[in-house]
Amino acid sequence: MSEVKLENISKNFDQIQAVSNLSFTVKHGEFVVLLGPTGAGKTTTLRLIAGLEWADEGRIQIGDMDVTKSQPAERDVAFVFQQYSLYPNYSVYENLAFPLRSPLRKSSKQEIDKKVREVAGILHIEDKLQNRSTHLSGGEMQRVAIGRALVRDPNIFLMDEPLSSLDAKLREELRLELKNIQVNLGATLLYVTHDHVEATTMADRIGVLKEGELIQFDTPSNIYNSPNSIYVANKLGSPKINIIPAHLLAVDVPETVKFIGMRPEHVKIDESAKLEAKVETIQNLGVEEIISMNFNGEIIRATVRPDEAHKVRDSIKFNIDTENILFFDEASQRVQI
Amino acid sequence: MLSKINRKLLNMSDRSIAWLFTLPTIILLIFINIYPLIWSVYLSFTNFKANRRGMEIKWVGTKWYEKILMSEDVWANMQVTAHFLFWTIFIQAILGLSLAIFLNRKFKGHELMTTVVVLPMMLSPAVVGVFWSYIYQPQAGIFNYIINFFIDFGEFTMIGDFVLAPWSIVIVDTWIWTPFVMLMCLAGLKSIPDYLYEAAEVDRASKWQQFIHITLPSVMPFLMLAVLFRGIENFKMFDMVNELTGGGPGSVTELASIHLKRAAFEKWRTGYSSAFAVILFVTVFGAGSIYVKFLNKLKEK
Repeated sequence: MSEVKLENISKNFDQIQAVSNLSFTVKHGEFVVLLGPTGAGKTTTLRLIAGLEWADEGRIQIGDMDVTKSQPAERDVAFVFQQYSLYPNYSVYENLAFPLRSPLRKSSKQEIDKKVREVAGILHIEDKLQNRSTHLSGGEMQRVAIGRALVRDPNIFLMDEPLSSLDAKLREELRLELKNIQVNLGATLLYVTHDHVEATTMADRIGVLKEGELIQFDTPSNIYNSPNSIYVANKLGSPKINIIPAHLLAVDVPETVKFIGMRPEHVKIDESAKLEAKVETIQNLGVEEIISMNFNGEIIRATVRPDEAHKVRDSIKFNIDTENILFFDEASQRVQI
Repeated sequence: MLSKINRKLLNMSDRSIAWLFTLPTIILLIFINIYPLIWSVYLSFTNFKANRRGMEIKWVGTKWYEKILMSEDVWANMQVTAHFLFWTIFIQAILGLSLAIFLNRKFKGHELMTTVVVLPMMLSPAVVGVFWSYIYQPQAGIFNYIINFFIDFGEFTMIGDFVLAPWSIVIVDTWIWTPFVMLMCLAGLKSIPDYLYEAAEVDRASKWQQFIHITLPSVMPFLMLAVLFRGIENFKMFDMVNELTGGGPGSVTELASIHLKRAAFEKWRTGYSSAFAVILFVTVFGAGSIYVKFLNKLKEK
């Protein structure tokens, strides 16, 4: 395991700027998640680190070695692809053993067998070892794909939305497992996703990407509580943060502040409060209720306990935790007060 | 919905509509395939001669079969056929696969290149036979010129030589049909997604390992299908060889089908040639069936 460092990386495909001036470091033993929508340059970043693409500009360092122009094999990284990418003609066992048979390793038969069985144990696929890789369910296939990375002891694990094609329940299960494995192995891991829940549950640090640029790179709680822009604030949290024009609330703020953001959990329904709105929809999630209300033409969402009885089209009074309000300027950037 | 309308309109069941559509083909097949086949099986047990219409047809039992299976000439023909089959398939499989791998790299002009490579397949084998006899022409032919340009053999003749003639037909068949094997292999190669190679690349597999573990297993079913087609085709090869060497010199290029044609339409030994045709049919049908079983097993794996 090694530290991986990107310095001012840029990459163009024809006219499209996929990644621009990207710099960040994945520390030894750290779980970093790159979060962003489709086309934000997440996958390209992984492929650049793996050596499947070459950067136009900038430097990539793995450990003490400059690998900017190295072949994938020289970099010794493991890659889990979105499409599983198992070798279709082989059994699960053969798939797991494949990386160990690289001419750059020269493992003995016993070593390979030991390692394959160990990893199969970690991923709970011991009884599938003799199955053909194409005769597996989606979850099993992805376990094998992850296993093929785990059998090696690479400098870094690169994972490209490995859970995106699984159903919700399985995704949750594997998410936890993956985090446990990473912690137990002390693995350095760079994970790419567009799912903010995956990001917050697994990451030590999150990098939020937008159109090939890194917007913010910080711990999940800092990204959640202290986003540097509306874009980042919108990325985390469900239901989404409320952003309303500043003049709607009678709060004392500097001239530059144009928008105010507040998380739904910081909006309190309170009969004695001054602000008034009309309930538009109520979503019952069991553990909580999301109330969407119309406040001077803006929709504000509040999460409340489900036992509070509210009805659609009711008039409702609410309050805001002023301590937790976020301020943004005209360019959607955060204003610290 | 559609079948409901049909039923109302024609007052026919799905089954009878299916019969209606397939019946013309079935009738045609019975008349041009099944009936002649059964008739020739019958003829193979008689002394019938097609050029003597008035002759009384006599039942001769398995006489022709015994004669054919004991004949050294026929076994020589079969050996010529085996030599032709083995070498054409062997060379075409290797060349076809190599060419496919080469053309699968998306270099500039690979599409034009593919078209050019496929051209020989578009020509009639009989025509190819004729113009290769000019190419092989000892004094003026381009083939001898090119060979002599690199290694000076002096004057030699491909189709006139007892040792070289069997190879001359192998070369021409390879020239025509390698593109076919190549196209089949190319279909196999195109079915391999890029990310498999990328995964292997990251897994630090060598190029050779990638070929053995990814390319070859994916192409194998396609290649084996191509071999099946080529095998059946070449087992009954006639037109090109008939034009090029006519079976000669002597009978060193006399394939089974050429022997058959001579017996049937030059010597008019209809009973004898029917028996030989039945033997060839059973051979190719049997071998083909075994091969297909094997192919299916490979696909299942």
